[in-house]
Amino acid sequence: MNVIRLLVMVVLQAALLESVAPFGEWTRPQWALWAVFMLPPKSGPFAKLGFGFLLGLGLDIILGTYGHHMIAGTVLGGALPALHRLLSPREGYEVTQKPTLQDLGLQWVAVLSFLGATLFHLTLMVVDTWHTRLIPSALLPALTSALWTTCCCLLLHLLVVPPDRKIKT
Amino acid sequence: MRNLWLLLQRNAFLLTFLSLLAVSFGVLVRHDGSAQSSWFRTTGSIAAGVEEQQRQWRDYLELAEKNTALAEQNAALRARLLSMERQGEWSLDTAHGWRVMTGRLIKGPDGHPRSMALGTPGSGGGLTVGMGVLSGGVAIGTVIDVGDQYARILPMLNTAGTWSARIGRGGPVVPLIWDGADADRLSLSDVPRHARAEEGDTVFTSGFDLVFPDGLPIGTVKSSQMSSGSDFKTVYVSPLVDVRSIQHLDYIRNRSDSMRTVLAQPLPQP
Repeated sequence: MNVIRLLVMVVLQAALLESVAPFGEWTRPQWALWAVFMLPPKSGPFAKLGFGFLLGLGLDIILGTYGHHMIAGTVLGGALPALHRLLSPREGYEVTQKPTLQDLGLQWVAVLSFLGATLFHLTLMVVDTWHTRLIPSALLPALTSALWTTCCCLLLHLLVVPPDRKIKT
Repeated sequence: MRNLWLLLQRNAFLLTFLSLLAVSFGVLVRHDGSAQSSWFRTTGSIAAGVEEQQRQWRDYLELAEKNTALAEQNAALRARLLSMERQGEWSLDTAHGWRVMTGRLIKGPDGHPRSMALGTPGSGGGLTVGMGVLSGGVAIGTVIDVGDQYARILPMLNTAGTWSARIGRGGPVVPLIWDGADADRLSLSDVPRHARAEEGDTVFTSGFDLVFPDGLPIGTVKSSQMSSGSDFKTVYVSPLVDVRSIQHLDYIRNRSDSMRTVLAQPLPQP
């Protein structure tokens, strides 16, 4: 299921959703990140790392940006176990818990999405600009894009909520 | 081997992460011209920095060897220069020349009136008793005893030694001694009253002691003292070299030294 979700999101982003950028470079969304954020917190670190890498690989193949998204995806996948540990509830995660609004709440999902998106966008910004003198001017667009990606991910979370389930706040 | 395997197991996630990152970087550098040029520029500058650091360390570690080689080269050049300077003035020395060897000062005089200096090499390195000792081209003493590896040097800063010197290149030949009082003051005694000795004049070896060739610098005139009613005055000399702080020595000997020594002996009584 996770793999299918990843493939669908990568294809959708590359084909359609990438153009959903109301303020141009200030709001470049990375919809496919949602597929990575949907990995259960109890899944293994290698699975998270592999998913991040595959996400980047898929985006690079479709968009023709060889290496750019792979690096950012690998960094996100490598950092995801740490992010899950950081946001872990006091009693820890349950095996059945999914990283959704219903199971872990709006705050958890929003914070994880924002931290992950920020990490991904900052890495992508460094790899895209490459030269240190260009990084300061690209920093703010990267942060606003991370915010926009967070909003997009929350929207997707809301879209997949079954109508009879109540959102945990 | 087992420990290595355990270490790899313990850091498997980190290693996998780094491997995937390396693969990603490889793809990026391979396909992105900007990243490629930046990557090669960065790695090139790092490699150049490391190379430069290594070169500096190598130079520093080889400093002693280079110093010795330079000292030997210096000695050879000085010997050659000395022989060239004597050309036309002293036919015997022109024919045979002076021989200069290098060495190091192991222990300098400590300022006591009778203290000796110790240098290397000894007889094993070709040193013989009676050789003149220089430092940077300045006369500082003579070899009075040699062992296999070391040589005992009578420095000018010793009250037991008397040296033959002259003020300027054409001044009268007078004995140079040290009175044991001040390490920065040698004395030229019995200098004729009429001899000129201005402060700053250079004092040279006369060559009459058969230890040094004439014209090697010893020091400069510091002051002079005239005794009332005497035909002589005492000239105080400031040495050009502080023997207590030098390291490298040159030993000098005329190649026909034995012949000169024999010929300089007083005639036997009839």
